[in-house]
Amino acid sequence: MSTELTMTLEVFRYHPETDHEPRFQAYEVPYDEDWVVLDALNWIKDHVDGSLTHRWSCRMGVCGSCGMMVNGDPKLTCAVFLKDYYPRPIKVEPLVNFPVERDLVVSLDGFMDKLEAVKPYIIRDDVNDTSGGEYLQSPAELAQYKQYSMCINCMLCYAACPVAGHEDEFLGPAALALGHRYNKDSRDQGQAERLDVMLVGEAIWGCTFVGECTVVCPKHVDPAGAIQQAKAVGAQEFFKRFVAPKGAGV
Amino acid sequence: MKRSDEAFWWALFSAGGVMAALFVPAFVLVTGFLLPAGGDGAVAAERTTQFAAAVGWWPVKLALLGVLALSFVHCGHRIRHTLMDLGLRRYSGLLKVPCYGGALAATVWAALLLWRV
Repeated sequence: MSTELTMTLEVFRYHPETDHEPRFQAYEVPYDEDWVVLDALNWIKDHVDGSLTHRWSCRMGVCGSCGMMVNGDPKLTCAVFLKDYYPRPIKVEPLVNFPVERDLVVSLDGFMDKLEAVKPYIIRDDVNDTSGGEYLQSPAELAQYKQYSMCINCMLCYAACPVAGHEDEFLGPAALALGHRYNKDSRDQGQAERLDVMLVGEAIWGCTFVGECTVVCPKHVDPAGAIQQAKAVGAQEFFKRFVAPKGAGV
Repeated sequence: MKRSDEAFWWALFSAGGVMAALFVPAFVLVTGFLLPAGGDGAVAAERTTQFAAAVGWWPVKLALLGVLALSFVHCGHRIRHTLMDLGLRRYSGLLKVPCYGGALAATVWAALLLWRV
């Protein structure tokens, strides 16, 4: 055991019922080049300190549960290897721009509210009418929105976005990209409803196209691009009012 | 809730971004480097005179004014959002006055200069 290689994890700890303020705790963990940061956290919880609290589920970059700040960058901890940092210590913190509930676990409430607000599901007038069979879609129509549908709601984009950190009205990258995803879906009829939410106040206009959301996305979604496209739709709708006023039947 | 009028400003900002990124560098290249470059002073002076004559034609003046006006709005919008990011977010409405007013003033100034060419 003494010859086994180890490395240090500096982990953010905060238990609101006992701690007045957050602190960092250093743990020596076995170094294995096949291990990801999540493996090291699970090893700490299983062998050293059962009170360490973190979220995780699939271990394969699909569920979006294990997002944390790793040396200051928002990452899925199941997808960052210890070998990329060894022998330097790794600092693990909860995602920034979210309230901390306990240790590495953040509150999802604000994010879920924003996600729900954009109605991320297909809206149809004829939802219960199946007489016409399934809604057919061509590959070209699928390509219009497919990349935006790859979002796993891991919230790394919110931790990367400077606007999401200081503007509550801003719906944020993932929610806006998902709203845009359904607006671009040929089977959907809910664009007007969604735009009524997206084009209000700073909901979408808070975005200043920093682009970090797209940089950190582990699923290669381009939320920054989606937001710019949605803004362009919003601008078209704005000018359309003067060309075809409501009720003109155009 | 009412949709924001930010769509209007963003559309002008967006158009100004294309102008500022595409046409302004081309103008700088032509007037700053290509016109004075090569040949002796007399050739450069001749070319500059021809260019000035082209600018004297009213459709060119109008196009130049369009490029400049949209670039000014682009600049004003970016400054407004930078100030909002620096902590003046609650004054986002008030900031429109100096930012877009400044763009308007610069446009009027550019129009006067073009008028005199």
